[in-house]
Amino acid sequence: MSEARPHLELDGVTVAFGGTPALEDLSLSVGRGEQLALVGPSGAGKTTLLRLLNGSLRTGRGSVRIEGVRLETLSPPRLRKLQTKIGFVHQALSLVPNLSVLQNVVAGRLGSRSLMSSLRSFVLPRRDEVERVYDLLCRVGIPEKLFQRADRLSGGQRQRVAIARALYQGGTTILADEPVSSVDPARARATVELLTSICRESGLTLCVSLHNLALARDYFPRLVGLRRGRIVLDRQPDQLGKEQFMKLYRLSSHELRVRP
Amino acid sequence: MRPAPHTLGRRPPVRLGLAAAIALAAVWAATTLHLGSSSFLAPGGLDAVSDFLARAITPALDYERAPPPGTEPLLWKAFRAAGKTVVFAGAAMTLALVVGLPLGLLASSAWWVEARGGRQGWRNRLLAAVAPAVYAVTRILISMMRSVHELLWAVLLLAAFGLNDLSAVFAIAIPYSGTLAKVFSELIDEAPRDAARALRGAGAGPVQVFLFGLLPAAAPDMGAYTFYRFECALRSSAVLGFFGFPTLGYYIAASFENLQYAEVWTYLYVLIALVIFFDWWSGAVRRRLT
Repeated sequence: MSEARPHLELDGVTVAFGGTPALEDLSLSVGRGEQLALVGPSGAGKTTLLRLLNGSLRTGRGSVRIEGVRLETLSPPRLRKLQTKIGFVHQALSLVPNLSVLQNVVAGRLGSRSLMSSLRSFVLPRRDEVERVYDLLCRVGIPEKLFQRADRLSGGQRQRVAIARALYQGGTTILADEPVSSVDPARARATVELLTSICRESGLTLCVSLHNLALARDYFPRLVGLRRGRIVLDRQPDQLGKEQFMKLYRLSSHELRVRP
Repeated sequence: MRPAPHTLGRRPPVRLGLAAAIALAAVWAATTLHLGSSSFLAPGGLDAVSDFLARAITPALDYERAPPPGTEPLLWKAFRAAGKTVVFAGAAMTLALVVGLPLGLLASSAWWVEARGGRQGWRNRLLAAVAPAVYAVTRILISMMRSVHELLWAVLLLAAFGLNDLSAVFAIAIPYSGTLAKVFSELIDEAPRDAARALRGAGAGPVQVFLFGLLPAAAPDMGAYTFYRFECALRSSAVLGFFGFPTLGYYIAASFENLQYAEVWTYLYVLIALVIFFDWWSGAVRRRLT
């Protein structure tokens, strides 16, 4: 893999849901180990963009490349193989409620296991697997929850388990869709700090969509602003003026009008 | 623009008509069946009923009429019949679970949507092409198994295979597989799918997504329902004794025909104790599961 190639690359991508465009002719490239925050009003296309980047959504037009490989041309098994390298922290709580934290985290590696070995790691996890999960739980700050059921945890703790699961995949990239939307501001800050520092230490590429502009500004070296399916800004936070944020968030008269 | 209020989809007043139709149907059924005050009891029926109920407080501990020498004691016979009842129910439920689980999976839309996912490739295109057919055939099969009662299955199987223990097991297992499959498919479809989607996005295969993302969330309810069906299977197993299988029903029918009501009550109490025991047990397991 040449270092010159961007790690994640969108080129002239258009996606539409039932005629309504979610992304329009959008191009973006993210370098290996880079950390970027996607900001913008809801409905701007942040989630759609992230789902493109992990191959769970396909483009209408344009191409998505990960490590130089075009996702559109991949067979399902090869796409799955590529997906094992991309951890995704979801907006909705995506844990299995009545399984233990250990089992939920272990599930992160299903894609690189056979059916039999995934059954075994679910029922009788090996010692080294348990220790690896325990290490990750220490890093996200909830080691004592290892054997607890996921539905006994608070919203913030579940989010940490989801992060641990994405890290357990052992991939090269973490994508996170509004990872702090369900926790209080103090915890939100702590969670974002955790995500960025872990990814920095391990050299993982990190793309996070965030509602909270202050958090994005404080923790990310690169901000990408989306609005109505297009990139309206892409730069470092210290270069940003108030004006540009206004441009990003100001509602147009078109958007304010109530639709029949 | 302001839409006119009558375009907002208010439903026409069908409910009143529906209620009237149901009331009419009830009156019609009552007149057809001659449900009146006069037609309730057969002549002498009241005496038989009171005679039967009187024995409820004095169930037999030994045979009412001396049996041929060498016959085992009544209570021992009742317990052995209870054991047989459990064995038939257990074998039938095991079979029903083995058949009902995969059928329920195929009959759930979640399996076809979530596990397979929106992936491309010739294998998935083939699957997408046959999926509606497999889904429809499974649902029809389930309905057919379910709509015939276990007693009717028993009549059919007895005609085909004679008084074979397997006839009884299959008679219970066939309709129960259908019921389990139907309820399983609904429970799987109602289970939250976020986890399944997340696992699919992380590269897990369809079977893995189903086994680890979808099934665990539905499993406690599926287990609880299976326990409930086991209780039903106990009752069915007892009733199949009327056809000559050596379960509690066989002895209940025999004693009833000989007007030995005290013995009937002995067997009934054993059956009731059995059902209460399994109800308590399944309750304890359900509390642990959910």
